[in-house]
Amino acid sequence: MSKPTDYQILLGSLDKAEHGPIVEERDWDNKFISQTIRELVRKYDISWNADDPLVPWDNDFADRVFAAGMEMAVKTGVYCLDTKRQMLWSQDELEQILSRTPKQVTVGEGVDAVTVYTRRPDDDKRVAVWGGPWGVPVTEELYTPFIESYAREPVFDLVENATLLSTHGRPIRAGSPWEAVAVWQEAQMALEAIRKAGRSGIALGCVEIATTEIGELAGTTYGAYRLTDIHHAAFISEQKTAYHQLTKAVHFAHTGSFSETYFNPMYGGYAGGGPGVAIAIVSGMLLVKACLGGTFCNTGPTHVHLNCSTHPDLVISTSLAFQGLARNTNLLITPFIRPTTGPGTREIFYESAALTIATVVSGATMIDCVQSATGNHTLYASPLEARFCGEFAHAVEGMTRKDADPIVRKFVEKYKNIQDEHLIGRPFTEVYDLDTLQPTPEWFSMYEAVCDEVEKDYGIVLNN
Amino acid sequence: MADWETKQAEFTKIILAGDEEAAVSLARTALDEGATPVEFFENCISPSLQDIGKRFETLDIFLPEMVTAADTVEKVNSEVINPAVAEAKDGKSMSLGKVLLATVQGDLHDIGKNMVGLMLKVNGFELIDLGTNVPPADIVARAEQENVDIIGMSALLTTCLPYMKDVCDFLEGKGLREKYPVIIGGAATHPEIAEEMGANAQGGSAAEGVEKCKMLLGKL
Repeated sequence: MSKPTDYQILLGSLDKAEHGPIVEERDWDNKFISQTIRELVRKYDISWNADDPLVPWDNDFADRVFAAGMEMAVKTGVYCLDTKRQMLWSQDELEQILSRTPKQVTVGEGVDAVTVYTRRPDDDKRVAVWGGPWGVPVTEELYTPFIESYAREPVFDLVENATLLSTHGRPIRAGSPWEAVAVWQEAQMALEAIRKAGRSGIALGCVEIATTEIGELAGTTYGAYRLTDIHHAAFISEQKTAYHQLTKAVHFAHTGSFSETYFNPMYGGYAGGGPGVAIAIVSGMLLVKACLGGTFCNTGPTHVHLNCSTHPDLVISTSLAFQGLARNTNLLITPFIRPTTGPGTREIFYESAALTIATVVSGATMIDCVQSATGNHTLYASPLEARFCGEFAHAVEGMTRKDADPIVRKFVEKYKNIQDEHLIGRPFTEVYDLDTLQPTPEWFSMYEAVCDEVEKDYGIVLNN
Repeated sequence: MADWETKQAEFTKIILAGDEEAAVSLARTALDEGATPVEFFENCISPSLQDIGKRFETLDIFLPEMVTAADTVEKVNSEVINPAVAEAKDGKSMSLGKVLLATVQGDLHDIGKNMVGLMLKVNGFELIDLGTNVPPADIVARAEQENVDIIGMSALLTTCLPYMKDVCDFLEGKGLREKYPVIIGGAATHPEIAEEMGANAQGGSAAEGVEKCKMLLGKL
């Protein structure tokens, strides 16, 4: 039998949403997800203690996490909220989909194009850096300069957009015509921002305001976002999808758009603690690829109370899951750096860099940085913390997991006890000069002080 | 009933394990030994659930354990406590109030809302959960049908915030705004947003949501 085409795989995925077993959503959360994860944590002996490495370097451990995640993916599949059906893939089907994953992809265009490579743990291959405010809310008048300030950073290979708070002075309503109006405005302003920064060909992460398929369909069209940009579709926790996400995936296929699909399991939620989240990350990444496609597969597991992806336990979970995926697949995997702290605080550098280092040495292909202050506060993000992540990402290319662990541990020690204080810092308008789009002297000197500290303590010179 | 402390510790252990049979049996025994249903609720169920809520706040337990405990207590209430209260007709309510919860139109995220719902339940509130993607008119209609004390709404996405304002506008338009305190929560919200949407309060976490609900009903 001939191998299915990508399009046949997509149609097969849609079929699963229509014909899978019917499941109550409550059972999905409590039995399918929670019980399965608990069983697999025991079966594969996934556990660690507080003084174990934050960046483990035991390949067998990483492979057990991968095996547990694969078993989870096959046993549970995905829940379709619209049809109330379980979408199931066999291990053969998943392996066939994984075998088709390209080992490198080029996004963007012209001199601004960048190639992103599959990486393995301890790999010295270049890691790509995707900088941006990652959906942090922003007013209409500041949208263009805000994005331009990111596009001006040479360390960013791609730029992600912010979330518009209004469109033409009106509220943006999900699923209404205003979503279509807003995405068109978003695209025009984002394209203007990169043009002003002199990087017209850089790939943009989009469509930021596309809550539903309306935004995606309206934003990926002639005159708006381009085929060299990268689009998003996601699972809802845990391992749930819906027609609007599947519609986005169909549109990506029809237009030939790049996409980054993502899944953020909840630490303390139905996935349980760190070991459960590590399994859920692997399972979710395999399934977003199978269900929604995705040039890149991303995760930013979320602490149920802190909303961050940088809690110490999540650093271990993400590192282990990435190692398992990087050792056993060619998936282009990316971590989502989402600290509790915001711009203008010293801690944001430690918090963002800890997860960056832990994932780069574990096989991440690209770093999605930084959704500052967990992304909920209007204009609380700046390019400088993302620059720090990008510089650190390149500095640790080729570093072993074993060598990275003490650095990550030292950084984690500097922020782990203040995460529940939610030090959101100061908004972009107070840490950047709006005329020059450069950091204020005070903010820049804080960054320099941390760079000096890194050089003194670890001999790592960042490109400042 | 002299040994409430021991009984409560035992009850906590049982409901965390989800042992419905043992939980029902413990409640029946307590009532057989002379405790009133209200005494059992106040000395056993309520402190056990509050203890579990606190353990979840510090993540000594995770969401599934809290779901199991809340489900087990519902079984005890339906099989033992509620029938005994009806029989006793002492008129004393064990509920702090009835809260309607919904994730607003356009948003399918429900874990945050579910956490708030569980925390409300374990703190003694009755819960009407309308699920996700609920249109404003449906929220108002169900609030009236169920005669709730508070309307609670959740949104993860900023583009769903206008639907929260719609609910407040609908209440205003129907002359019901004073009848229902409105609380909002979810990643897209903060206190200033609550003011913009016309809500009475905002909860920054599940625990804070419970405290604000108590405050809105003058139970703090």
